[in-house]
Amino acid sequence: MSNTYIPIPMKVEKILAENPDRSLRTYDLSFVNEADGKNFHYVPGQFCEFSILGKGESPFGIASSPTEEGILKFTVSRTGSVTNEIHYLQEGDIVGVRGPLGNWYPFEKFKGKDVVIIGGGFAFTTLRSLLVFMLENREDYGKITVIYGARTPDFFIYKEELQEWDKREDLNLILTIDKPVPEWDKLCGFVPVVTKEVSPDPNSWCVICGPPAMIKFTLPVLLELNFAHDKIYTSLERRMKCGIGKCGRCGIGSKYVCIDGPVFSYEELKKIPDAF
Amino acid sequence: MVKIKKTRLKDFIDFVQQEYDVFAPTEVGKKTAFKKIDSAFEIIHDIVNTDRSPKEVFFPQSEVLFEYGKDGLKTPERKEKPIAVWGLRHCDTSSLTMLNKVFSDAHQMPDKDMFKDPYWKEKYDNSLIFNQACNTPLSTCFCHWFGRGPFDKTSSDIFVVDVDDVFLLEGISEKGKAFLAKYEKAEQATKEDEAKITELKRKAESFLAEKTDISELFEKIGKLWDEPIWEEISGKCVNCGACTFVCSTCHCFDVSDEGKKGKGKRIRLWDSCMFQLFTKEASGHNPRGISTQRVRQRFMHKYNYFMDNYGVHLCTGCGRCVQVCPVNLDVRELIKKVLDYKIS
Ligand SMILES: Cc1cc2nc3c(=O)[nH]c(=O)nc-3n(C[C@H](O)[C@H](O)[C@H](O)COP(=O)(O)OP(=O)(O)OC[C@H]3O[C@@H](n4cnc5c(N)ncnc54)[C@H](O)[C@@H]3O)c2cc1C
Ligand code: SF4
Ligand code: SF4
Ligand code: FES
Repeated sequence: MSNTYIPIPMKVEKILAENPDRSLRTYDLSFVNEADGKNFHYVPGQFCEFSILGKGESPFGIASSPTEEGILKFTVSRTGSVTNEIHYLQEGDIVGVRGPLGNWYPFEKFKGKDVVIIGGGFAFTTLRSLLVFMLENREDYGKITVIYGARTPDFFIYKEELQEWDKREDLNLILTIDKPVPEWDKLCGFVPVVTKEVSPDPNSWCVICGPPAMIKFTLPVLLELNFAHDKIYTSLERRMKCGIGKCGRCGIGSKYVCIDGPVFSYEELKKIPDAF
Repeated sequence: MVKIKKTRLKDFIDFVQQEYDVFAPTEVGKKTAFKKIDSAFEIIHDIVNTDRSPKEVFFPQSEVLFEYGKDGLKTPERKEKPIAVWGLRHCDTSSLTMLNKVFSDAHQMPDKDMFKDPYWKEKYDNSLIFNQACNTPLSTCFCHWFGRGPFDKTSSDIFVVDVDDVFLLEGISEKGKAFLAKYEKAEQATKEDEAKITELKRKAESFLAEKTDISELFEKIGKLWDEPIWEEISGKCVNCGACTFVCSTCHCFDVSDEGKKGKGKRIRLWDSCMFQLFTKEASGHNPRGISTQRVRQRFMHKYNYFMDNYGVHLCTGCGRCVQVCPVNLDVRELIKKVLDYKIS
């Protein structure tokens, strides 16, 4: 019997501060034991429990794509005790990771279809995973539209990649910030407003991730555009401990975010009274 | 069915102990609880429900998941014998089967190795469960509401009835039957002995308070999410969490590290959905920040969500929560209120 409570050892290969105040950092981890890497099969949308022994664990979405072999990428916002400790890590340190946990974005269903990805702030992590995965298998999908908003230009994550994606012909990348700042030549305005303006084709599949307020105000826009309720997907966050449906912490209605989610369709969520 | 004289119980328990560590109702400080016993003399026979529920035998209040140090991670090695539990009442026997659903699988993804809880399974899977009939149910018992009863034999290995100066034992599972067959000193029970069980059962059932029909409970409570009934019910709850700790089916836990960076252990500890911190997130956001939401969560989990997932209510009617609540929040009253509630 396997023991899902035991973290596997991983080495911090690379750390990248994503913004000037350094509250967001991206960690590339490699498997200390080759066999662990071979057994680690994940897909976009899944998450892991990141362990700092002596401090505890926290769940983070996997930001890398399964096509990026040998590494796992996490982007961590500094908010409390475990995330603080993660921010003290140095390249070369060993940490623990449990996973992959949870379900995933229904990318199998996206085959041959148009896809709209809507993200806000640092919640772009698993969206990056999905996007990189789809771009690696570009011919499998129709039009890909990405609407990504942040408070200020500093608060986008994966800035280098955004620049590369911006140049691609086979991807419609729309970046927007909340309020105008000098030297910003992209859009200005909140994600719901921009979504309305872009008015993506309602026959597309949509994945939306971001701060609760962004989701709350963007959903009605999508519904108004006539997106099918079972084609809108989002990823939920709740406090978690076990990650395998035992500890009872992440319950919403009769679902557990850690095993029934974190990815849910709007069709599912509208039936769960405490989901939003 | 065989019988063992009460004066010879020690010999039988000694026999069980050759193969198993025996846990039985005994005194722990001022409370009664299921603890490992050395000899049959420690067993308290005349209590119906122990103060502490037997879930701690298989799911201890605090349990080491692993230790970490210079040589990496080490999971605790279980060196003890398998566990036999003597003196479980049927409500408690069935509580273990409910916890087993949670810890042995994930309902949506059965048989997937990653969802099996090894700490539970290594204790529960090879245990021997003695399920003892309740001759004198308490005023707080309501197992019969759930279609079970004080003389229910299901879900156990060996059924035990306390009759005058003997214990009658009946093998229920294959494992139980095989075990009893090995104990050669037991006498065969007579027709008269068995007849006494029928009489005891009738008497025991007469102790039970009136039964409430809960066949509509699942559907009804599921419709009350937004109704003011929760404010009314939770009004007096002080969120002490006592009900969840004594509850034989509550299984929420916390995971926490004890020790320093280089050396220490990761443990799991019982936790309670009644506590505000249970769901509080780093941002300060709390999906169940107010008491009403937490009380609703507890009872929705018991009488709706668990049924949805596992086809059974997460409550055995053991009545422990009724006994300990400092403000007399009686779950039976709550169920009746829910059933009688007129949706506005
Ligand atoms: C599926 C999932 C994916 C996530 N992905 C990311 C990500 O990619 N990047 C990122 O920065 N954050 C992510 N989070 C949020 C992240 O887990 C929390 O910010 C983090 O646990 C805070 O831990 P802390 O110990 O630093 O904070 P503390 O305030 O000290 O938290 C104490 C405990 O609260 C819990 N907790 C607090 N806030 C949250 C929260 N919002 N969600 C879940 N648990 C919480 C943790 O269990 C933690 O151990 C994700 C959460 C979930 C559930
Ligand atoms: S809710 Fe109360 S009656 Fe039901 S199993 Fe728990 S302690 Fe027993
Ligand atoms: S024991 Fe009573 S007061 Fe305490 S949390 Fe439970 S219902 Fe509330
Ligand atoms: S994190 Fe334990 S049940 Fe979901």
